[in-house]
Amino acid sequence: MKNKNEVWIGVEQLNNDPVLNELSNQEFAGPEDGLQITEKTLELGSSRRDFLKFLGFSLGAATLAASCDIPVRRAIPYVIKPDTIVPGVATYYASSFVQGGDYCAVLVKTREGRPIKIEGNSLSTITKGATSARAQASVLSLYDTNRFPQAGTMEDGKFRKISWEDLDKAVTGALNPKDEIRILANTLMSPTGQQAIEEFQAKYPNTKVVMYDAVSSSAMLEANAQTLGTQSIPDYHFDKADVIVSFGADFLGTWISPIEYAAQYAVNRKVNPEHPKMSRHIQVESHLSMTGSNADNRVLIKPSEMGAAIATLYNELAALNGATSVSAPSLNDKAKAALKKAAADLNAAKGKALVVSGSNNIGEQVLVNAINALLDSYGQTIDFTRASMQRKGTDGAIQGLIREMGAGAINAVFVMGANPAFDLPNADAFKEAFAKVPMKVSFANIPDETTALCNFVAPAHHYLESWGDVEPKRGLYSLIQPTIAPLFKTRQAEESLLRWAGSPNLKLDSDQPYFEYLRWNWQQKMFPKQSRFATFQIFWDSTLHDGVFEVPSDAGAVSFQGDVADAASKVSKPSGSELEIAFFETVNQGAGQYAHNPWLQEMPDPVARTVWGNYLAIPIFWDGSNEWQAFKGLNKEEAKGKADIVEVDVNGSTQRVTCVRQFGQPEGGVALALGYGRQIVGQAGKNVGVNVYPWCSIDANGNTQYYATSVSVSDRVEVENDFACVQYHHTMGVKGTDPKTNEVINVDEKTVMTLGAGYQGGLTDRTIIYQANLKEVEELVEHIHEKREEAKELNEKTLYPFDKYTENLYSQGHHWGMHIDLNACTGCGACQVACVAENNVPVVGKKEVSRHHEMTWLRIDRYFYGDYENPNVVYQPMMCQHCDNAPCENVCPVAATNHSSEGLNQMTYNRCIGTRYCANNCPYKVRRFNWLDYTTADIFPANEYAINGEDLVFGSDNLTRMVLNPDVTVRSRGVIEKCSFCVQRIQEGKLTAKKEGRSLRDGDIKTACQTACPTGAITFGDLNNEEAELNKKLKEELNYRVLEEINTQASVNYSARINNRDEAIS
Amino acid sequence: MMDLKRFTAYALFLCFFLATGIVSAQDAAPAVDLTEGETLFKNNCAACHNKNMKDNLTGPALGGVQDRWADYPRKDLYSWVNNSQALINSGHPRAVELWNQWKPTVMSNFNFSDQQIENILAYVNDVYTRVPVVAVTPGGGTAAPQKPNNTLLFLGLFALLAVVALVLARIISNLDYLAKVQETGEAPPRKTLAQILTSKGIIAFVVFLVVVLGGYTTVNNAINLGRQQGYQPDQPIKFSHLTHAGTHKIDCNYCHDGARRSKHSVIPAANTCMNCHKAIKVGSTYGTAEISKIYASIGFDPNTDKYIEHYDAMSQADIEKIFKKWFSDNYIKEKNTLDAEGELLVKNQWEDLVASLTNPGKDKVQGPIEWIRIHNLPDHVYFNHSQHVTVGKLTCQTCHGTVEAMEVVQQFSPLSMGWCVNCHRKTEVQFANNPYYEAYKKYHEEMASGKRDKVTVEEIGGVECQKCHY
Repeated sequence: MKNKNEVWIGVEQLNNDPVLNELSNQEFAGPEDGLQITEKTLELGSSRRDFLKFLGFSLGAATLAASCDIPVRRAIPYVIKPDTIVPGVATYYASSFVQGGDYCAVLVKTREGRPIKIEGNSLSTITKGATSARAQASVLSLYDTNRFPQAGTMEDGKFRKISWEDLDKAVTGALNPKDEIRILANTLMSPTGQQAIEEFQAKYPNTKVVMYDAVSSSAMLEANAQTLGTQSIPDYHFDKADVIVSFGADFLGTWISPIEYAAQYAVNRKVNPEHPKMSRHIQVESHLSMTGSNADNRVLIKPSEMGAAIATLYNELAALNGATSVSAPSLNDKAKAALKKAAADLNAAKGKALVVSGSNNIGEQVLVNAINALLDSYGQTIDFTRASMQRKGTDGAIQGLIREMGAGAINAVFVMGANPAFDLPNADAFKEAFAKVPMKVSFANIPDETTALCNFVAPAHHYLESWGDVEPKRGLYSLIQPTIAPLFKTRQAEESLLRWAGSPNLKLDSDQPYFEYLRWNWQQKMFPKQSRFATFQIFWDSTLHDGVFEVPSDAGAVSFQGDVADAASKVSKPSGSELEIAFFETVNQGAGQYAHNPWLQEMPDPVARTVWGNYLAIPIFWDGSNEWQAFKGLNKEEAKGKADIVEVDVNGSTQRVTCVRQFGQPEGGVALALGYGRQIVGQAGKNVGVNVYPWCSIDANGNTQYYATSVSVSDRVEVENDFACVQYHHTMGVKGTDPKTNEVINVDEKTVMTLGAGYQGGLTDRTIIYQANLKEVEELVEHIHEKREEAKELNEKTLYPFDKYTENLYSQGHHWGMHIDLNACTGCGACQVACVAENNVPVVGKKEVSRHHEMTWLRIDRYFYGDYENPNVVYQPMMCQHCDNAPCENVCPVAATNHSSEGLNQMTYNRCIGTRYCANNCPYKVRRFNWLDYTTADIFPANEYAINGEDLVFGSDNLTRMVLNPDVTVRSRGVIEKCSFCVQRIQEGKLTAKKEGRSLRDGDIKTACQTACPTGAITFGDLNNEEAELNKKLKEELNYRVLEEINTQASVNYSARINNRDEAIS
Repeated sequence: MMDLKRFTAYALFLCFFLATGIVSAQDAAPAVDLTEGETLFKNNCAACHNKNMKDNLTGPALGGVQDRWADYPRKDLYSWVNNSQALINSGHPRAVELWNQWKPTVMSNFNFSDQQIENILAYVNDVYTRVPVVAVTPGGGTAAPQKPNNTLLFLGLFALLAVVALVLARIISNLDYLAKVQETGEAPPRKTLAQILTSKGIIAFVVFLVVVLGGYTTVNNAINLGRQQGYQPDQPIKFSHLTHAGTHKIDCNYCHDGARRSKHSVIPAANTCMNCHKAIKVGSTYGTAEISKIYASIGFDPNTDKYIEHYDAMSQADIEKIFKKWFSDNYIKEKNTLDAEGELLVKNQWEDLVASLTNPGKDKVQGPIEWIRIHNLPDHVYFNHSQHVTVGKLTCQTCHGTVEAMEVVQQFSPLSMGWCVNCHRKTEVQFANNPYYEAYKKYHEEMASGKRDKVTVEEIGGVECQKCHY
């Protein structure tokens, strides 16, 4: 079923459900109890006498407060002030965010010696100054109240503090040089860490490193070892590919190096008159992933059909290239036809084609390599010169360890950041075997399931307190340097190993022994690799300043040598089961290692737009008569904030899961995210969602498979009343049918409509998204032009034409504006977390989100378009549009929101009295109201709100508050807040220019969302600066403003979304 | 009727008298130029001589100076002002007397004309003899030009109107009474004063008055809540800005080095103090008592002129030994022996040092000196020193008053929003030589064409909300 021009937000809209009419019409909608106060707060059923009592109390309180002396505040200077620190001026340090195989070169912004914000390091050739949501949120985990305060012992999961000396004595006392020792870790990328492990191995020769990754690339590594002669992840060049086929690899969101790949991918996706070419991206997958949602075509398969799909594509290409075909398992006809066409597209782009696969089946990965070989991809879109080190773990290694431990052959295990007691399909087997190891030490710095089973905890620093180095890709090095003194009595894991090994190279009398060790190692290994610097000190200083160091790579070309017939026999076989379930990694939670981070928990999943949990994605289909129905008719009341809880049975084990309806799911396929349901993780992440690792399986080759075929889903067993999905919150321009008159109306502005047709606000045909196929760009340009002319005409009909009355406004000085390229936006959410970090946006928790009370200043709206059953998706970052004719400003009774001479829509918190008229009148729905005391800024604790049942409200302790940006006010209850265009950055940029006595240059001021974006989708600048990049973008023909026809004169512009969908494929 | 006339005449006379009284007080200008005198005094004398003319500062109080020099020719006073050392050397008895009283403080030389000195003297006399009508701003600094005080005029008018009202009320009552007498032929009982005062009208009026005045006072005081103009707390070290910035003319930016480059002006770290106090170990006013607190904070042994290693781990008893030795050595240096008085002094100095460097939140003397913060802005206000100091080229004194004349610093300005906004309305932007402001093309054109002579901060958006609140 096709649909050409319309975009839709969800099922209700397609069904013309009156629920949506009601919901969108209410500006402060929520579930039925939406506007009531929780049980925790005061019962306000008060009489006149109560009122008088309250009055008397507040008067008394005010008098007391007033009569008190002014509190004595102290100004505490340094004793010896470091030269580099000027209080009040931010200092940036180059470092690297590393979490297992996740890597990002970063600049850490510190104020008065505490890290408060992560920025990208543009000197890195890998991440190129971009960041991810995970990197942005990592600064919050530094101030996690759940961190271990010092070394300790663990008995029955109870932590007891001991001194480091005692720990060292206990560990070294228990170790024997002949002991079988295992260092258990996720991917390790540190060359100096490797050196430390080697020194440890010198003392304890039977030490081995066991590396595995919870979301594994094991099969790919093995396939590459077998067929390409190198056990590594290749260097992909998505920017050089004209046709990309991805078999379930979420390379824009979670797969291996998403920041790098997203930037490459965007190069050929940004279409404009200067760059009219666009790559074609075909995603073959069994659930709607973030990458899939950005694809031009999606081929829907069930999870067990992956092998069939890959083999089919191989056969099609083999036929085109005269190679021998293999026996392919049967595949659904639709996918088969689509892959035939995809093969033709790929073959036509030989040398500029790229096929990737997220599969963890060795046969499938070998076939993918064979496909790439047929397409001449090696040396073109794939090479190994800069092979990636970001995934090294193999599933065989951890399974081998479980066997060894089970046999009682292991004397000691050091757990270095891995959490196998949670994230293995056979975690129970691991726990059982692990219990047989006499000496178990964990280096984790916050509690986790595996650490709870250890004897000792030797907590390592957070990466922002650490020294270290990383080699994320061959020959590309990156340094980690501390940006704050350790907050707790922690010690680097590598230093612990070196101490226990009694390394002569570790200078124990030094202040920072591991720093000296790192320097020493770099002097031995890295310094000789370069010729630019004559002395080590200069080399070190320069490298530490830049954060990155590159040496040429000598790796040669690879060629494919493999037995495809054998590989084809190993691929997954379609199960024939009616219902299958896919498990996938999400952008915000990863494999579960980010569960303790409330910023990531509250960042909506890009695709499902749900927060605080994993939800079973169920397919939607046309019921044949007149309604769009979800699987089993579930989740009819999503728009009301209610979802159905079902019992999911996988291989005989049952869990209760909340559903979310999802377009673009295969008919017999449901999906559920990995990494949720952590039990030991600190209060914020505890019991959020369900743990699906036990439902994963291990295939014949020992690799973890992230799907299950023997699934049954029950009917509704319970109703989730706090369904936290932001998709139906803050909608704009939703069309619906008036049940009384049967006319099409704009349900968001129903009130305006009833006042009389003809008011611009009530127009049903509203400008929100423009999208078209690449072939129809010319038509789209014409269409946009026409619509903009129409809007202009409408806007000039007013009594006060904007241009006439504002002739002299913004004619000098600055006039700030923004441009967002919908073609570049992948919906990854880095901007959203960056905004939270920069602007002290509070976390409100699941219950509050379900009541439409999320506080994010920047939301990423998701719209579907195209084929109803397998739609395309467009993401639209939406924040305050800083309208030059702003509807919100006119209605504020106290002028708390007004316009600046630089075109900013200003919000003054201390003047706001909380009438919320402005939010009511904002057509973009971007204003947020502090319903409760989310920041614990009030004096009355009754208004505070615990996000996940904590005793201490999140963010109320002094440790967590260290992450706050001191230049941005912390808002209290009862005021409206919204995007300020990062006014603190604007003011800082202007001041720097003034102090340096120069004009403000384009690019001096960048908003937090802009710097975080991996694809460069956001451009901020001065509209009065003719040279500005922004003004160039505004002249492009695909440029438009949202809701332009209602004369808001928005300062934010968007570029229309273009897709390169091949209608012949699906 | 006669009553009314008499009353009116009297009230008008009173009013006139009050008005002329005020005017004549303002017009009582002698032949000398008071304004010039004031300017000269503030620019040249105020750094050392107290502006209230009654109290001594670095130099003596100037009030009554003419009387004290009345025995000598006027010319002597002129030459004393312009070159005091020359007059002392010539053996002028009054000059020598003053020198003995104030040495070694030397008064700067000036090059005033006789008329200028007369103007200054007249200003001094004027201030000295002026009856304080308005409360002097607690900062005592350069008071803003005062508006003519209309309070008396208003009071007069109020009294007049009240009298008129009373008279009218009386007349109406009388007429009413007469009318009733005429109507009924007999005299009705007249209301007693108590009856009048307890009548509904009066009670309503009094309630109304109480509500209005109460509301007015409450609002006014509420606005001032949290404001602390004139706040002058005792600091852990009796640091004298007068000595440092006044006498020794150390630039404010030397210690407060953040002011030119950061939002904070920055309280100097102890190591900044040590730049000078490594050498100057005994102070001019408090001897060893105050400067030793820096040493105790940072860990400097004044006996050996060396920084103490591992000072942070040192016990208080060991620190006590070092500083008691230092105090007693210095006492012995002066008095040759450590008598009982000296021992008491040493004990007191040490106890004062400990008390100053510790507080409920800090139990060791080691570590930072915790000063009492005087200037506090609310958290929702963003203020940046460098914008004002480096870009706006304001002097520190504009907002902080003549700190160089303050022995103990106090908050000079109200730091209220009205105060900020008023300044932003008046202050001219430093357009010249800063290419940043070239973005304001129209203003530049208008200035070039003579259409405008300056651009105020307000005109480039300086009073918009999000310049300070975000």
